Amino acid sequence: MAGAIIENMSTKKLVIVGVILLLFQVFSFLVGGLIAPSPTTAIHYLAMKCVDARKVQQSKWFMPWGPNQCNKIRDFDEAMVRMIEANDIVFAVHIPLPNKEMSPWFQFMLVIMQFDIAFKVVNQIEDGAEVTIDVGLAYRDDSVSEWTEMAHSIEKRKLSCNFTTSKTYENEGRYYECDLLPFMELGSVAHKYYLLNIRLPVSERKRVNVGIGEIKDIRLVGIHQNGGFTKVWFAMKTFLTPSILIIMVWYWRRITLMTRPPVLLEKVIFALGISMTFINIPVEWFSVGFNWTWMLLFGDIRQGIFYAMLLSFWIIFCGEHLMDQTERNRFAVYWKQVGPIVFGSFCLFIFDMCERGVQLKNPFYSIWASDVGTELAMAFIIVAGICACLYFLFLCFMVFQVFRNISGKRTSLPAMSKARRLHYEGLIFRFKFLMLVTLACAAMTVIFFIISQVNEGHWHWGDYTLQVNSAFFTGIYGMWNLYVFAIMFLYAPSHKRYGDEQSNGDLGVNSGEDIQLTTTITHLDGPTEIYKMTGKEAQE
Amino acid sequence: MNIQPHTEVRWLRSGDFSAEKHRDEEQRLSGIMCTRLPRTACLLRLIALCILLSQTSAYFGLTGREPLVFLPAPLSNESPSGKAHLKQCEQLTLTRRQKRLCRREPGLAETLRESVRLSLLECRYQFRNERWNCSLDGRGSLLKRGFKETAFLLAVSSAALTHALAKACSSGRMERCTCDDSSDLEHREAWQWGICGDNLKYSTKFLKNFLGQKRVSKDLRAQIDSHNINVGVRAVKSGLKTTCKCHGVSGSCAVRTCWKQLSPFHDTGRLLKFRYDSAVRVLSVTNAATGEAELAGPRRHSHSPRPMDLVYLEDSPSFCRPSRYSPGTAGRPCAKDTSCQNLCCGRGYNTALRHTTLSCHCQVRWCCHVECQTCLREEEVYTCKKH
Repeated sequence: MAGAIIENMSTKKLVIVGVILLLFQVFSFLVGGLIAPSPTTAIHYLAMKCVDARKVQQSKWFMPWGPNQCNKIRDFDEAMVRMIEANDIVFAVHIPLPNKEMSPWFQFMLVIMQFDIAFKVVNQIEDGAEVTIDVGLAYRDDSVSEWTEMAHSIEKRKLSCNFTTSKTYENEGRYYECDLLPFMELGSVAHKYYLLNIRLPVSERKRVNVGIGEIKDIRLVGIHQNGGFTKVWFAMKTFLTPSILIIMVWYWRRITLMTRPPVLLEKVIFALGISMTFINIPVEWFSVGFNWTWMLLFGDIRQGIFYAMLLSFWIIFCGEHLMDQTERNRFAVYWKQVGPIVFGSFCLFIFDMCERGVQLKNPFYSIWASDVGTELAMAFIIVAGICACLYFLFLCFMVFQVFRNISGKRTSLPAMSKARRLHYEGLIFRFKFLMLVTLACAAMTVIFFIISQVNEGHWHWGDYTLQVNSAFFTGIYGMWNLYVFAIMFLYAPSHKRYGDEQSNGDLGVNSGEDIQLTTTITHLDGPTEIYKMTGKEAQE
Repeated sequence: MNIQPHTEVRWLRSGDFSAEKHRDEEQRLSGIMCTRLPRTACLLRLIALCILLSQTSAYFGLTGREPLVFLPAPLSNESPSGKAHLKQCEQLTLTRRQKRLCRREPGLAETLRESVRLSLLECRYQFRNERWNCSLDGRGSLLKRGFKETAFLLAVSSAALTHALAKACSSGRMERCTCDDSSDLEHREAWQWGICGDNLKYSTKFLKNFLGQKRVSKDLRAQIDSHNINVGVRAVKSGLKTTCKCHGVSGSCAVRTCWKQLSPFHDTGRLLKFRYDSAVRVLSVTNAATGEAELAGPRRHSHSPRPMDLVYLEDSPSFCRPSRYSPGTAGRPCAKDTSCQNLCCGRGYNTALRHTTLSCHCQVRWCCHVECQTCLREEEVYTCKKH
């Protein structure tokens, strides 16, 4: 794919394109920063302690508040006095809080669990204590009808708590500091009201829930995507899909218009466009109407495919610009480099299926809850990490090789024939341009990632509030879209000839070269002779 | 009609003056103003004055002058449509505005009582080894003065109320916690769009509104009280812990959500006790630039007290002997080597040998199952002497 548009474009036009892209980039940041609210909201829930008085209550679901609320106790001292057993205590949490309702726009909901465990000398947390929770989830869509069960499960969670002060009588009543426990993940929020009923069944004989310390309270934190952010995000996707699609069609038409079959790099760029479109297509719109719990998993898969494609593209782009006169243009040549990407992505895919895939069936499942699961998950992640390292080593090595070849070619450039020189100059320019843009994009991603991690979440400028996290998401998403767009546009084969732009009578190139230069076949002999020939013909 | 606010038992005491001062003021005022006016007009004028004064600063929680209900009634299990909370609101002594807030918000009465319980338990715990053990006997007289203890009572009350409000919000006991400012439809939209603030922000705002702290009087006492109330709120805020959860692709940190978490109230209490120990005595200084009274530190040129410091006006009494501020330390149990010296004010202590049965080798199981053996123990008990 020689003679790409980028080589034949005048600097002025290139600058114009760059400025337009930059404007879109700024726009995408501002859309997230100014219009959208923060991406997610975390809401605290404190579980109410209900008493399961079997004879009194008819429904098997316990409501913490509102009409038909359960028979509550304030704390466990009260339970002690009233001789209530642990198995009769139900922790009830209604999601959301009063006067609010959930909406499909929230996209997902994940819930984190935290225990408030008070220190007591006679009832301490044992090492490796495990809490067994019997949990049920129900939903309803209006505030009067009966609850419908959605999921029920008995789960185990490892307690990892530490007590920061000395374990003396003096410090009784102070709380342990416990790690967050993953509790539940829903891939869609199709219903208005959810109800969680949690029990901590105790069985001395089976050693269930023994040695878990004095649990005072169960706190949950529910995280969902903000409706406003979802709307802005969908709008962005809906806008981006046709723009990438149009440039893709245009790009492919350009390639098919040529007389030669497309080369590998062109195919890879096209594949990149397809994977970008795959991410862009706003199928999430359906999640508003349908209860598609797999949307979260599907989103992960789409992102994974895009990342894998992007990484492969960089490798192949470097390889095709190596200029070491070896035959490439075949995908098989790159197996060594692309292999780690595919393998790493596959590992992450398996991991994701183990976590989010199983959660489709049981929303309370967490791979981190069991020892085997944790080891398995760690194994997948470590393998994926090793693959990533391998990949970056390969990539860096290739980039280094390209630069070495470039500097080698530089010295011999003046001695070459004009056509050949232009060919190499084009290669060098194309490579350097992409290198620069890619580095800039990667740097932007990293910088904004760090900012969004470090920052409080929003900045105030006078009356305006800039949501940094939302700006990060829309900005980075817009950026990679523009990146793919720019690559497809700038690296599409040009129909212009080399000489056209340089109008000062430099007719060094003619139509014959167009065909030859569109391939990256850089045999030492074959093309050079043709170059020489065509060059001579032109001179004559 | 009762026109003397200091005799009323109220949740919110008319603020700017101590009661005695208030009485003087009234006498003086009535002396001045009522000499030539008909008696009814004089009364009306006084009522107006009282209402005006009662709006400026606020006392509540442990500093309320009503008899405290330590252990509130068991959690109400009535539905919110019931009128139970209205009765509860009537039982509490509140100002008119507070009553209105209380009626509007069904969970508030319970939360107020919960906050009293919380602050009382914490105050007793923090002062268990001090001469003043947060006994409520002399509370009324204590509140009229500007001691360190008064400052602590105010701060711990406001901290407890903030804490209890935030907790009530997250347990769903309060109905209007966030997105509260707008009408119903807007409220729903704001919630769906995602611009509602968090519960703590709400509870701080609500507290300000509830206590009517928007206008702070220029009176020194009122300023000090308002400062100490804010110290309590700040103590809760400074104890917030930010916790984050990553939930991006495959659980990566590409998407991360953070939230602020209340620390246990014990920690807040400990912080306030520390502030109590390092409280600053202040004077009133007239700011040359604005002509307004300001709080100033003990030294002439030092700055006004830092926002985190508790401030007080006068040195505390010793609390050793029974007085109108405390029942004294006679009869208080103490620890021989550590607290007896200080607690008994040099009067010495009685030693008694006591056989106590206590439960030991306990087998405790969550939640409510305790199996213990009874052991007989002989222990020495030290109590402070009366004279």
